[in-house]
Amino acid sequence: MSEIGTLDLKKLIGNAVDEVFETMLSMEVELLKGDFDISLNGDRIVGSVSFAGKVMGSIRIEVNTDFGRLITAGMLGMEPEEVEGTEEIYDVIGEMSNMIGGDLKSRLCDSGLPCELSIPSITSGKDFTIEAKDWVKHEKLGFRHQGHIGFLEVFMKRDV
Amino acid sequence: MPLKVLTVDDSKTIRMIVKKAFKPFDCLISEAENGVEGLAFAAKEKPDLIVLDITMPVMNGIEMLTKLKEDPVLKEVPVIMLTAESGKDNVLKIVKMGVNDYVVKPFKGEQLIERAKAIVSLEPKKEESRVNDSAKQYFPKDGDIQRLVIPGKADRPVIADIEGHLDPKIKEMADSGMQKFVLDLSQVGGINVSLVKLIITMKEKFQKQDIRMRIVAPSDVGKELKEFQETSEIAVDESIEQASQAF
Repeated sequence: MSEIGTLDLKKLIGNAVDEVFETMLSMEVELLKGDFDISLNGDRIVGSVSFAGKVMGSIRIEVNTDFGRLITAGMLGMEPEEVEGTEEIYDVIGEMSNMIGGDLKSRLCDSGLPCELSIPSITSGKDFTIEAKDWVKHEKLGFRHQGHIGFLEVFMKRDV
Repeated sequence: MPLKVLTVDDSKTIRMIVKKAFKPFDCLISEAENGVEGLAFAAKEKPDLIVLDITMPVMNGIEMLTKLKEDPVLKEVPVIMLTAESGKDNVLKIVKMGVNDYVVKPFKGEQLIERAKAIVSLEPKKEESRVNDSAKQYFPKDGDIQRLVIPGKADRPVIADIEGHLDPKIKEMADSGMQKFVLDLSQVGGINVSLVKLIITMKEKFQKQDIRMRIVAPSDVGKELKEFQETSEIAVDESIEQASQAF
């Protein structure tokens, strides 16, 4: 069985982000290098999925509302101004979390760390923080498209 | 006879992508948000193909597939599974359950169609029937009144679609001597710029053809219309019956 410490999480989630953007949105994203202490300001949306089994943790994708609108338009094949409600944006960010979470889950299962995935949840607003406790591995990946920046974070707790 | 395709997914986005993928083909696409709704629809309509997501609330795709395969009537309905999980255990699991094929998310509509074509016969939709299908859903007739029903989500693509049918519909009304037109906004939650532009266009075109237009709308939408100079003079009723009597 693999230990979670040996997993190249950053590469795994980077590949997943690339694939989702390219396949579903026909958008190229630039993956940002380095460590990030910065956070997004203003109205933002966080899509999360959790996984539990031999390994436990969660994935979060965080974008501001404008980037969320752009992503939604890309996925639905429309112009950003045609996206009228936040419900559509939440649905798309939730689905992206599901796809990226599903990809990571598959890699974990194939590495001998079987786990189950939750359905996505959405948090939105201006002034909030989400904390994950007791994790032993954490990766934060930044991605940029047309001047918009988003973040993808993975928290893993432990092998059981 | 159009092919009956059922898409079962909790994500409206994915259902829209599936619908869009099948749109060029002679298909009737129906939607369900979870396995329970999907099973109920399948039992009632017996679709020719089911595109089934795995991760859903209420009843997931695996459970729905299990129940489908236990049902003597529905067990032969072909199923394409949509899954975000490409791991070999997951793939083996769903293949063993008897799915005809699977598509791993993220996916393109073309990939789904390619898999569907290997299972069912997809005929391209004729252009004429595509236009007629689209027009029929917006323009029902009530006796001597031509209605235009604006769907709840009146965004720019929907309004553009309706605009495309407007001139032929006006010509059809003129040819048959119809002069009463009701713009039905009962399902619309609010006014947007695209909708106001459509109303102004219709008002101008109807004036030239001597067609009388009334609007049916909830009171709050009616009030919003009164705030625009261009639409403030159009008569607004709260029901079709009221509009019919007012004519």
